Amino acid sequence: MSEITDSNFDKTAVRDTAFRVRMRRFFGVLQRLTSNPTTVVGLVLIALMLAMAIFAPWITEANTPDAYQMPRDWGAVRKPPGTPGHWLGTTNEGGDVFYGVIWGSRTSLQLSLYVVGSTMVIGTIIGSVAGLVGGWVDEVLMRIVDVFLSIPELIFALAIAAVLGPSFTNIIIALAMVIWVKYARIMRAQVIQIKQNDYVDAARVIGDSKLNIYLKDILPNAVTPVTVQATLDMGNVVLIGATLSFIGLSEAGIAEWGVLVSEGQAGIASGRWWASTFPGLMIFLWALAFNLVGDGLRDALDPRIEGR
Amino acid sequence: MLDATQASKNVASVRDLKVHFQSKRGVVHAVDGVSFDIRDGETLGLVGETGCGKSVTGRSFLRLLPVPPGILAGGVVSFRPHGPCAVCEGAGCADCTNTGRRASGDQPIDLLSISSENMRRIRGDRIAMIFQDPGKALNPTLTIGAQMSEVFLQHRSAELLERASLPPDTSGAVRRFAAQEPRFGDGLILKFPPKRGQRAKLQVALNQMVTEALAETQVPNPVKLMDRFPHELSGGMRQRVMIAQALACNPDLLIADEPTTALDVTVEARILELIRALQQRRKTSVLYISHDLSLVRRICDRVAVMYAGRIVEIGTTEDVFANPRHPYTRGLMAAVPTAGTARGKLAAIRGTVPELVDPPSACRFAGRCPYETAACRRNDPSLLPVAGDHSVACFIDHPTGSQVAPSFERVTE
Repeated sequence: MSEITDSNFDKTAVRDTAFRVRMRRFFGVLQRLTSNPTTVVGLVLIALMLAMAIFAPWITEANTPDAYQMPRDWGAVRKPPGTPGHWLGTTNEGGDVFYGVIWGSRTSLQLSLYVVGSTMVIGTIIGSVAGLVGGWVDEVLMRIVDVFLSIPELIFALAIAAVLGPSFTNIIIALAMVIWVKYARIMRAQVIQIKQNDYVDAARVIGDSKLNIYLKDILPNAVTPVTVQATLDMGNVVLIGATLSFIGLSEAGIAEWGVLVSEGQAGIASGRWWASTFPGLMIFLWALAFNLVGDGLRDALDPRIEGR
Repeated sequence: MLDATQASKNVASVRDLKVHFQSKRGVVHAVDGVSFDIRDGETLGLVGETGCGKSVTGRSFLRLLPVPPGILAGGVVSFRPHGPCAVCEGAGCADCTNTGRRASGDQPIDLLSISSENMRRIRGDRIAMIFQDPGKALNPTLTIGAQMSEVFLQHRSAELLERASLPPDTSGAVRRFAAQEPRFGDGLILKFPPKRGQRAKLQVALNQMVTEALAETQVPNPVKLMDRFPHELSGGMRQRVMIAQALACNPDLLIADEPTTALDVTVEARILELIRALQQRRKTSVLYISHDLSLVRRICDRVAVMYAGRIVEIGTTEDVFANPRHPYTRGLMAAVPTAGTARGKLAAIRGTVPELVDPPSACRFAGRCPYETAACRRNDPSLLPVAGDHSVACFIDHPTGSQVAPSFERVTE
């Protein structure tokens, strides 16, 4: 054993080890993920829709002053697909369906990221506290969760959004308030199960602190189902959000798929199918893609099949 | 209770330990008044069948009981932590009887009553434990290296700083990393200069310490092993990692809770040899919990036989195996099949283990015992010496035992 000084140690060796381990994990999961054809379909769809959201201003010119408002071309209302300048047609109010489809992916991405991101954090914290502390804390938190779970998601979100008033932001808030309970439940169950494992005892045996045990032994082993649920919710949230928008809880005229379906549905009976169909198709594809990937992720992240 | 010279030879003493479990049907007296000593450098085997309380006894050394429903109903587990011998600095000399270590204080500490902060300092450093199933005792999300590092970060941060040639008064994020007290944002601080270099040095020092600890257990290529995840290793390798981790800080007492039960026989023999060799080199005391008599006979200096929450017989391995006094011990030994046992003629002790819910004041073995008398059903025999180091709790050897206070201070909940 020799002393480690500035001159005699190899920094790159250290970095390489940690990096290699991390890469091995990442590519392991990626490999298992891509070995499932339906997951690949989902991943491709997600990639396409993310590209749509990211490059929206380059695909169609942003409306001014607010890009999330549908541009109105009153000179070209109810045009069918294929019309020059409006190749997916226009709505009753002269909104360009193509613009709505493209910018709607941004709204949807915002909706799902905000809702899933915030609920995941809140749910994980509350679920962990309930699972770790137990006793009456667990009892109180879980009864609150029970109350939330006793009301159907859509109805509850609808009620909250209606109380808060019709706006897209309120839909985000309403959905977050409804969905966090799922994560709290999952996390609590995970924590309770994992804290009984021998390796948690083993960590206690070597004198680890409670915080360290939580951060290194419990949390990393508990997040898998939360991650899977989050992926599935990325799709489901857009579905529910679109439903709320459809029944008019969003601002009118916003570039959002649910709003567009709502605007177009009056015309379906008179043969103007395009205004509802294309945004509807996007909602369907979005939900499908995240559900496919969520299912694949569930298998790929299962520690039991790790290393096969 | 103990004279001074004898006490100084014990690394740990358990006195009248009682662990109860609250169940729906009443209080289960899982461990009911267990007393024994573990001497310096010895291997004490704790044998008994499933559910007799041997694991609970072992775990109470580290206060690793599920609370609730576990209740520490009484008793003392005193322990004398050791440090390197001041005279020879761990090399081994006459003063420390060639063990290289010495009790750091005269006053033993009671493991059951010290603060959890102090308990944490002892766990992994002075008392270590090996679990039954190494497959379950390793965190599947951490590499072997990361997992092994924990114990050094927890107990050897000073040595770590020294090896990394950092001043011992290093403070801030680097210190917090070395002592494993991370704070929010530390990860980021350590990723960038000027702290990045120090962090890297610490990592090299840490890897060095881990490699050395792993090499002690004769694993092939410890450097490569550090990057592995537990599921990539065989059972024997995992148990070697567990042993390396347990012995990393050179503990005074190692609690081995059936460490080879989950392994196959050939691996078992090698693991036992390894534990034995490491223990003899370091003069660590071992509490070896097992249900396997032949195994205990092979590796233990002394044996304690447990039955239904009590120790029924304790003595040197030779005494107990050559001259078993308690009917339960005799029954156990008769039940071990040998090459001469005829096919289909396995011996067994009649009856079943009694319920431990609110046990009556009687010998626990009464009802199964071929030598049972009326006294056995009324009184509880105490553990009394029969010869020198050999003690037994039975009225056969102590006919006057019935006069001994029947099972002191029974706790009634």
